[in-house]
Amino acid sequence: MVLSTARATSAAPIGRFAAFSFVDQITQIQGVTRVCGLYTIPANIEHFPASLVAEALGQLAAWVAMSTLGFSHRPVAALAGDTKIFSLPKPGDTLELIVDIESCDAESILYRGHALVKGCLVLELADTVGSMLDIQEFDDPAALAADFAQLSTGGRAVGAFRGVPKPSLTDLPTSTLEHLQAQLAVPAQAAFFEDHFPRRPVFPATLLLDALLQLAVRVAAQAASGKTLRLTRITNVKVRAFTAPGASLLLSALLAAPGSDELEPYMVKLTAQGEGKTIAGAKMYFALAGDTA
Amino acid sequence: MAEAVITKEEIMAVFPTVQKTMADALGCDVDDIKLDVSLIEGLDAESIDFLDMVFRLERAFKIKVPRGKIIEDVRGDMAVTDFEQGGVVTDKGVARLREYLSEIDESRFKLPMRVDHIARLYTPETFCKLVIRAQRASQAAG
Repeated sequence: MVLSTARATSAAPIGRFAAFSFVDQITQIQGVTRVCGLYTIPANIEHFPASLVAEALGQLAAWVAMSTLGFSHRPVAALAGDTKIFSLPKPGDTLELIVDIESCDAESILYRGHALVKGCLVLELADTVGSMLDIQEFDDPAALAADFAQLSTGGRAVGAFRGVPKPSLTDLPTSTLEHLQAQLAVPAQAAFFEDHFPRRPVFPATLLLDALLQLAVRVAAQAASGKTLRLTRITNVKVRAFTAPGASLLLSALLAAPGSDELEPYMVKLTAQGEGKTIAGAKMYFALAGDTA
Repeated sequence: MAEAVITKEEIMAVFPTVQKTMADALGCDVDDIKLDVSLIEGLDAESIDFLDMVFRLERAFKIKVPRGKIIEDVRGDMAVTDFEQGGVVTDKGVARLREYLSEIDESRFKLPMRVDHIARLYTPETFCKLVIRAQRASQAAG
């Protein structure tokens, strides 16, 4: 089904369905197999990290999953087996989002997806699994159904996202050059909590990944003796628990040897712990800028 | 038709791969994955870890395991209302669980048992059996 391509253009209010929503329009739905959408990164924000491109793909998949299940469940926690980053989109770019759904039921959704800017691939997600939870815990199902209808029939106003604050990280004295540890102070209040999620504010896993990336970049740069690196892949992402506003997390980035079948010279293992339990993990790979790895 | 018995030899044949796959998913040492350890109470597994483990086992063994397969298999042809009422497993349901999860020690079946607590019983051996059943189903389908 190809949906309307007309688009709303005025700025939307902040808060719910705005502060952390990265689908402006759903342009095509092919049953429960493929969904396409658009998202325009506001031109007036400073930075749009790769993890938010992945968030946009995840949200597009979530809209179809919620709709398919009659807005009874929504995917929340996630596994992302393999994410390839080809380039970083710039403020003002419009992301073309394409998600292919392998399976979707009341327990989980399995999908892959990719994002393009002007026809060029910027990010590819594979082996992504979302765990389905009762939607009532997170948002009003009727409001979500109305939002979905709006996205599918002309789209919502673009430009609502106002950016997110930089992660507040404090290095711990236990850190070494190859093993950085830092405390992440999750904000107690932020606009994105009104949207993620209205009934239960949860620190977005993609912002946690962005905070982990800050540490990974430093560890990899140290190993590369200051040579310019680029993030090429994020694998084995797993989010095991929710992080509430105001939480304090212990982030860890450990330089590790890439596997013999891996092209990138630098790999960093990352974990986030809250109250002594590992709540998220990932591996990030870096190549020298200019290399095609 | 009653299910063919799953032998210890069959379980031990798949266990090393199950063990490594689970250790990767849970971020623990391979040696922590004993055949009879409770995945939730012994290894702190969360619900997302179960999805991760099933996903990894599908890849490792080239099998397909529908989500919710364990509960579906336990219930078999039993009506949902015969198996559980108000989120609590019925006596008939518990009897079926004991039969299906025969690897679990009797003492771990605490009654009354909530449906959402069934996963607390699961051990690596439960997943070995899941793999073997999926392999058998795949072979039967040709």
